[in-house]
Amino acid sequence: MNASKLFVAGMALSMSATAFAAGAHDGGHGHGATSGEPGKASEASRTVTVEMYDNYYEPEEISVKPGETVRFVVENKGNLVHEFSVGTPDMHEAHQEKMMMMVEHGVIQGGKLNHDMMNMDMGNGHSMKHDDPNSVLLEPGQSKEVVWKFSDKGNIEFACNVPGHYQAGMYGEVNFE
Amino acid sequence: MKPRFLTGLLSLLMPAMVLAGEYDLTVDRVKIDTGDFVKEGIGYNGASPGPVMRFKEGENVRINVTNNLDEITSIHWHGLILPFNQDGVPGISFPGIKPGETFTYEFPIQQAGTYWFHSHSGFQEPDGAYGAIVIEPEKREPFRYDREYVVQLTDKHPHSGDRIMRNLKMMPDYYNREQQTVGEFFSDASENGLMNTVRDRMAWGDMRMMKADVEDLQGFTGLINGKGPDQNWTGLFEPGERIRLRFINSSAMTYFDIRIPGLDMTVVQADGNNVQPVSVDEFRIGVAETYDVIVRPKDEQAYTIFAESMGRSGYARATLAPEEGMEAAVPQLREAARLTMADMGGMPGMDHGSMAGMDHGNMDMDSSEDMSGMDHSSMEGMDHSNMDSMDHSNMEGMDHGSMAMGKGGQSDPFYAKGSGLVPTAANGGKFLSYADLKAQDPLYEDREPTREIELRLTGNMERYTWSINGVKYEDADPIRLKYGERVRFKFVNETMMTHPMHLHGMWSILDVGAGQWNPIKHTINVNPGTTVYMETEVDAPGQWAFHCHLSYHAAAGMFRKVIIEGGPDSTQAKTDVIAEDGGEA
Repeated sequence: MNASKLFVAGMALSMSATAFAAGAHDGGHGHGATSGEPGKASEASRTVTVEMYDNYYEPEEISVKPGETVRFVVENKGNLVHEFSVGTPDMHEAHQEKMMMMVEHGVIQGGKLNHDMMNMDMGNGHSMKHDDPNSVLLEPGQSKEVVWKFSDKGNIEFACNVPGHYQAGMYGEVNFE
Repeated sequence: MKPRFLTGLLSLLMPAMVLAGEYDLTVDRVKIDTGDFVKEGIGYNGASPGPVMRFKEGENVRINVTNNLDEITSIHWHGLILPFNQDGVPGISFPGIKPGETFTYEFPIQQAGTYWFHSHSGFQEPDGAYGAIVIEPEKREPFRYDREYVVQLTDKHPHSGDRIMRNLKMMPDYYNREQQTVGEFFSDASENGLMNTVRDRMAWGDMRMMKADVEDLQGFTGLINGKGPDQNWTGLFEPGERIRLRFINSSAMTYFDIRIPGLDMTVVQADGNNVQPVSVDEFRIGVAETYDVIVRPKDEQAYTIFAESMGRSGYARATLAPEEGMEAAVPQLREAARLTMADMGGMPGMDHGSMAGMDHGNMDMDSSEDMSGMDHSSMEGMDHSNMDSMDHSNMEGMDHGSMAMGKGGQSDPFYAKGSGLVPTAANGGKFLSYADLKAQDPLYEDREPTREIELRLTGNMERYTWSINGVKYEDADPIRLKYGERVRFKFVNETMMTHPMHLHGMWSILDVGAGQWNPIKHTINVNPGTTVYMETEVDAPGQWAFHCHLSYHAAAGMFRKVIIEGGPDSTQAKTDVIAEDGGEA
């Protein structure tokens, strides 16, 4: 599945995608106006490895050029479930409510993900799948990629929206060169 | 965060050197001004509270404590893991520090986080002998902040600790202003029905307690960092910054419900240990507990830190502001919590059933209109003799709902069902529960406990005696534990007061049902009518104090000595070295 197809699927199905769209309100239209869009791996200018610990990233900031496509290799080296999500602070805040629901429904359990629960049909075609193209949700030891094409300058962070983690400081800054 | 880089640099320059810090503390008579009253008290380095002691994990500290009082003193490093003879409890760890003497404490710092220190002699701690401890970790924190403040609370009373204890012994409700009135009886009766009301009062009479005994010490001024509500301690910030607030409850007797209207608080530590971050609107801090929270005020405005006492008889207040002098609205105290029947659920001597068996024949109780005709004297004549034959199963049929009158729908597994103490957030949001506390990085492997020890928390309010398993400290044998075992303690609170139980020297692994993620603490609240479990890895040889941290309960006898038998280098407790002047709170 290529990235843009995944994006559409995400928009249509997942509850977290709703937050993703809702978070775009500060940008006028769509997420692209503020944070960028899913990129193609073939267009990535470089690979950045981001390690996730309990509860912080290494590195805690990265520099990108406007319009640059970056391939992120995200590794969870902690003992808890963590997320790597690219967006504006408002997008993260909106997404956090959905992540809270995932905890309340037992989808995220400390160091484990309940995959059955994630795929369960919540009605109206919604599920608690976490499949937005701007983010990955990883169990300890897992590694996944996010390919992201950054747009213009903006207030963009990569963040972990597992409840409490962002608030405790699990975020990194994206600086535009 | 800057000091970390500095120490990082230092450790690069001196890789082989163990950090060692030398500190001096004097114990002094001081003046304490709360804004409401001025009193004589005890402090450190000329002030109460004393200084914030800042240590670094991995350093060896030497602390020279000079006693300028005319009585024996001591300092207990609350929550620190250290050799037992450095723990500062006269009669258990050492003989105490005599007037004019200097005692040098020396121990390695093996942990990080927010703690505190206080005198363990007489009532010096309620009289002002306390301060904060901040330990910087060797590695990075699992969270981030731009600045930090200690927020240390206390319940400063105009009376000295000795006088308060005398008064409580003489008249246990001496400081209880919330006693129910005759008028309240009739208003309860009209709301809840006369029968329920009489039944309720009878039960409380049996308990030798007043329903309003949420706090047995009222009339205090809440202080934050030594400042009363009008003196308004203020911490500055730049909008957008993350601020770490290190809350420490150094009160003698008072639990506080803490909120900062307009700000979420993300709890990152409890009792100095990292917990998986949880964002809340409000939390309750028991006596001797600490909670570290991160807040992020984004607006150029002042925010009030509001700490209401659990019984709503007083409050502490401070401010976070972009500049000195700014302040925000100070909320009103909410209505006082009232204990319910559920809060005495743990009392074995209490006979709910007898209420059903009461002979009401000659009391015209069913007519709530005709109260004047009620013959109170006949209540004396009630036949209690059949209490033994009472059928407990009747209790099931009792309508707890009509008595509980709990506000809000929030429940908390650490309170009795229907308890009047269940906290709710002022803004209707999230109130922290013990059930939310999960270790960030568990210190111990989870394993089966080797045995269970039941500790019933007991007392008689009428005589102001407080005890464990019905036996007060001076009459009790020590609790003997074996080095290397893992003991499961079962606290059964048979009183109607909340007891913050503090085991010295070893961690208390609080059972919140999270298995390996159960958090470690140094002080465990046990609410009325509840049973709480904690486990302890017995990994510290010597002998230790174990007690309720309410000053006047500890002094009244809710206190034990714990002796650890065996150990790596058989560091047995040398009891004969230590003066037999008993444990002091």
